[in-house]
This record gives sequence, C-alpha cells and structure tokens, in this order.
Amino acid sequence: MIEFKQIIKSFGSRTVLKGISFAIQEGEIVFILGTSGTGKSVLLKNLVGLLQPDSGEIWIDKQETSRLTELEYLEIRKKVGMVFQQPALFDSLSIFENVAYGLRKHYRLSEDEIKAKVSKALSLVQLKNIEEKFPAQTSYGMQKRVSLARTIALEPKVLLFDEPTTGLDPVTTNAINFLIKDLSQKLNTTSIVVSHDMHCALEIADKIIVLDQGQIIDQGTPAELKKSTVPLTKDFLAEVLA
Amino acid sequence: MTKVLRPIENILEEIGSGLLFLREVLATLIHRPCSAHLVYEQIWKVTIQSLATTGMAGFFVGAIMTVQFTLQMKEFGALGYLGGLATSGTIREVGPLLIAFMLSGKVGAFTSAELGTMKVTEQIDAIRCLGANPIQEIILPRFIGIVISSFFLLTLGLVMSVLGGMMMGNLFAGVSPDEYLRHIPTIVTFPSILSGLFKCFVFAIVLATVCTYRGYSTTGGAKGVGQSVVKTAVATMVGIVVADWLTSHISDSILKLFLGA
Repeated sequence: MIEFKQIIKSFGSRTVLKGISFAIQEGEIVFILGTSGTGKSVLLKNLVGLLQPDSGEIWIDKQETSRLTELEYLEIRKKVGMVFQQPALFDSLSIFENVAYGLRKHYRLSEDEIKAKVSKALSLVQLKNIEEKFPAQTSYGMQKRVSLARTIALEPKVLLFDEPTTGLDPVTTNAINFLIKDLSQKLNTTSIVVSHDMHCALEIADKIIVLDQGQIIDQGTPAELKKSTVPLTKDFLAEVLA
Repeated sequence: MTKVLRPIENILEEIGSGLLFLREVLATLIHRPCSAHLVYEQIWKVTIQSLATTGMAGFFVGAIMTVQFTLQMKEFGALGYLGGLATSGTIREVGPLLIAFMLSGKVGAFTSAELGTMKVTEQIDAIRCLGANPIQEIILPRFIGIVISSFFLLTLGLVMSVLGGMMMGNLFAGVSPDEYLRHIPTIVTFPSILSGLFKCFVFAIVLATVCTYRGYSTTGGAKGVGQSVVKTAVATMVGIVVADWLTSHISDSILKLFLGA
C-alpha cells in the first residue's frame, strides 16, 4: 500500500535520509524507532508532502507522490492524515472548530453532517462536552487527543503519528497508545508511528523499523526484533527488559 | 574574501526570498483570494492595537518639528510661516518615516511573533495537512489587513502631527492656531500631500511583507521566534529607510511629470 524507494533528503550539506526503502501493507501498524535527529519525522513529512525528497520515490495506493504539486497533494491528504508531535491546535478556534477545520476545507458538508462527524471523532478519542472550550482551557493530554480527533475526523486510510506520547505522563501515554491500536482496528487504518517507545512498539506494532543516521539498520516483527543482535536495537530493548 | 562576501550574499538571498514570498502572496490574492471576514478581523485587530500609539507618535512628531522650526525661524522673524513649513516637512518626510518606525515595532513585531509561533508549533503544517493553503488562510488576511490598517494609521498620524504642531506652536512660539493654519494651504500643496500618502502606502507594503515573510519563515523553536522578531524590527526599519529614499525620487519625478510640481 505504501512504499518508499531509495529516499534521499538533505538540508544544506547535511543528508538526513540516505536511501531509505521499505514497504507497508494495508492495515499494518508500523513503528519507526531511532534516536533523536535520525530523520524519523522527516520521513513522515515526506510521505504527507510537507517535504519533498531530493531523490527516490514514494508510492501510496499505486500512485507515485514524491513530485506532486501542493494542489495535487490535497487528494493524498484526504487519505493520509498526520498527528503532529505538538498538538498544533489553532488557539483562536474552539475545540469544535478545530476538529471541523479539515472537514470544512476538504469537503462540502452540511452543518449537521459536520456536527455528527466532529462528535464521532471526539467520542473515538474518549472526549465529551469540550466542543465549546478553547485549546488553552484544556490540558496538554486533552489537546493531543483533540489533535488526533481532528485528523481522524477526515477518516483517512493512513494515520501518521509523530512522537504521539512525547511530553505526556505515563497514564496518558498508555491511553494514547491504546487509542492508536483501537483506532487502527475500528477504522481499519494503516498506522505509522514515529516513537522512542520500544515498550509500546513491542506491544502494538505489527512491524518495527529502526533508523540510525538516516539509514534503516534493523526491521522486523516485534518477535524478530527481540532476538536482534543490532547494538542500537539491543539498547532500546535493554531499557524495556530492565 | 569569502568571509567578507558571505554576509552580503546572505542579505541578497534574504531580499530575493522576501520578493519571491511577496510574489506568492500577490499570486494568491489574484487566484485564490481569502475570505473578506478574515481581512476585516485583521484590519480591526491591527487598528485597535495601534491607534493610540500611532496617534500619540504623530502628535509628538508634529510637536518636535514645530519646536525645531521655531528655533530657526525666530531669527528671521518669519514665525507666520511656521505652520506651513513645519507641516510641509512633517507630511512629506519626517512624519511618515517616524510613524512607520513606531508601527514596525508594534505591528511588525507582533505579527512576526504570532506567525513564528504558529510555524514552530506546527500549526502551519497542520493547516496544509488539513487541506488548506496557509498563504491564503493565514498570510493573505494579515498582509491585506496590515497594508490597509497601516495606511490608515499613518494618515491618521499625519493629521495628529498637524494638531501637535499647532499646539506646540501656540505654547512654544506664541503662534495662534489661526495663524499656524493660515499658510498651510499655500505651502503644503496637493502634490506634497500625495507624496506623503504615497510614502505611507509604500511603507505599509514594506511592513506587511517583512513581518509576514519573517514570521512565516521562522525555524528553531522559541529561540527562532525571538530571532525572527529581532530580524523583523531591523529589516523593516532598513526597508522603510530605503523605500523612503526611493519613493522620494519616484514621487518627485511622477509629480513633476504629471502635475508640473
């Protein structure tokens, strides 16, 4: 369903992605692990068209997307939704308007249809009666959930999560991880999660990819990764096993 | 040699990027205009935010000019021309320049900080992912709002400068308001008013372009937002001075050509 072929991306003289290739099947939950600054977020941003690779190809549903224009990308972004590292909510809009934002931009829906979709998205992330509040009136954990609701309101086929649990307490972290798994099953989406959280990856991922210095150094199912001899994978595992 | 040329290269690159950004904003204005409601919102916000500051700045610019002219003209016994000359100097040159500086600190810094924060907190990326064009949704309303509001505020500042000058003329030089205003229509000609307004318009465009461009191109977290604000302040003031020099030449040439002024 999604395939990266030899993706190279540089910023100035620094090459962040050095020929990344891998494929993801429909309905899979894939975790991309790696230390900070190894190009994990850059990889996601290439997939959703926020960045363009210097070379290589990105295939989504048999369509090559790496050279599309911003206008052509609109169709892709209906299928591929991204949840950012920060909640990225619009401060001047209420929670309702934040969740409705993408619906208003992408589709021509009646106000009743928008209300129904917003309500459904908020209930999927287990939030109730906060539509009239503004982002500043809610906790950081709630903002993260609203951000997720805003993305799933568009009913994308692919969900991208950029470090979804960074800055959250352990309880909210577990709740968000549960939501990723739950939404993947309920909405039948393919999910790509960029994370440092090996514990969560082992629990909910179908496949784990380990990146280091812009290259894939290890990949496989959680069971395969547990037996890995790659030093960085072992470092990530050591933390969990300890 | 490379070390010497690098800063110049950087400045030229910044100017080029700024002009390309302005082209994108204008192209969006023509092909995908933003909603009028968003523009009204910005006009209202910018105007209310800066009305008192601009009015006060204009008032004191006029007052300062009058004090300076009084000191010179007293020696020649020509205080009767005080109002006309002080107003002419203020409207044509000093007024737009100083009031624009004041606005660049207030509106420019606020806008670049607001847009910079949106950029580093990924709100602008989120807008793109949610199917909207950030230039159309975020930049264009602010750009148009700042141009219209700044033009209005600068013009208001110039009106206030006449009031400030008149009051100071009365208090400092003993020139009555009637006497102060008497020579203004003969010395402050229609072309000089047009020249002042033209400058106000150009300064408003410079201010809107620099602060939206700097805010939109912010990178690097909170520190990056701070740097953007500083760069906006510096670039706007330099831009306004350069634009002042250019518009002085252009407006004089145009007025001579069409009005024989």
